[in-house]
Amino acid sequence: MAKLRAHGISATLPDGFEGRIFIRPRLTGESSYPVAHFATFPLPADVADFGGGAVTLMGPNDIFAVLFEYGPESVGTQLFARQGMQRSLEPADFRPTLLRRGLGGQSGTQWFFTEAGRPFTFYAVLGSHARNRILIPQVNALLTSLTVSPQPLSASPGTAPWN
Amino acid sequence: MVALVLILTLVVLLLGILVAGLLRSHADILKALHDLGAGVGDPATAGSDGHDHRNGDMAARSVPVPFTMGPQLPGERDSVSAPTIAGVTPGGDALAMAVTGHDTLTLIAFLSSGCATCAGFWEAFQRPGELGLPEGIRLVVVTKGPELEIPAEVQAKSQSRLPVIMSTEAWGDYEVPGSPFFVLVDGKAGRRIGEGVANHFSQVAELVRRAEVDVRAFGLASRSRAFADGLDGPARESANDDELLAAGIHPGHQSLYPKSLADVFPPEVVPDPVGRIG
Repeated sequence: MAKLRAHGISATLPDGFEGRIFIRPRLTGESSYPVAHFATFPLPADVADFGGGAVTLMGPNDIFAVLFEYGPESVGTQLFARQGMQRSLEPADFRPTLLRRGLGGQSGTQWFFTEAGRPFTFYAVLGSHARNRILIPQVNALLTSLTVSPQPLSASPGTAPWN
Repeated sequence: MVALVLILTLVVLLLGILVAGLLRSHADILKALHDLGAGVGDPATAGSDGHDHRNGDMAARSVPVPFTMGPQLPGERDSVSAPTIAGVTPGGDALAMAVTGHDTLTLIAFLSSGCATCAGFWEAFQRPGELGLPEGIRLVVVTKGPELEIPAEVQAKSQSRLPVIMSTEAWGDYEVPGSPFFVLVDGKAGRRIGEGVANHFSQVAELVRRAEVDVRAFGLASRSRAFADGLDGPARESANDDELLAAGIHPGHQSLYPKSLADVFPPEVVPDPVGRIG
């Protein structure tokens, strides 16, 4: 299985997944933190942080997932009070109304938490809500493979070609 | 008359001495071989160690001949598997690209920052829109990992938006013999459908176009069972033999011995002399 590791995040990708862990170049006056994209379909070069440009390409058997880090000012806030990443999701955790972009047939889930002292959100989209019992185990396999290590929150941005 | 008889007697005598000498020499050779353990004689009378023990002294004096195995020959090259390519980008991000499990054709360009032939490809990749690849082909450049390449040099050569993965492991997975080297993977079939070298990207693009047409028009399932099953090595050879025999193409069939490229390809599709694609 392929392994990804960068910016204090690592993943052993389950079969069928591809992914990227990167930091977008900083724009003037903005901070930039690590983002990890995972998908069971070819990720295009231009994908927004939460899947814009990718979720419209999903088939019914596809999964798209994001691990997105927030700035250090979020640590200790109510939104990120949950300690540790959720490692096992249930069908009830996925709802069509949780999608950032409501596409017919799809459903999503989103969790905010603090892991290794770093504030994150995990957002996942299923290509077909009707197939959630088949797809959710794959999401859980991905969650199980993710590890986050403590590191300074001022990581330098990458220069990935797709940025 | 008496003189003739004497001469003939002398010749016969000399020949007799010669034959006796040859027999003696032959006996000496057999004896030496026997002493070396290369037993000569009836195997049924040999001992469990393969030596003839009819003569105990001779067996005791036999010298074991050292027999050592050479290094194991490498197995046949795996030219079909297409594992996910994972590594880091020149900028320090992580990137993994799954080349199977979807309907996309992926062209993997294994390049080095220092190879002279690769320079033309790096240059061509600065303008991805002008590469002439069919629509929907995913192109990824793979260099060796940061332990064998200098990321800053790779980054300087990869200013376009094409994904670049630095992964020594991928070079091993795909058994890349050297750079530049190109591999075309059919994501739907889950296997490599072509690989080889080229001097100019236009050659690669042309071969990819043909492969793409083949895949789109015929589908891998309509090709040989060996191809569709992803067989390789002797299994693939055997399966292909079976199909040829079933089609009435036996050893010696004239179609197996083309006299020119025109016998194999119509004149308008004679391929360039580069690697195998398709």
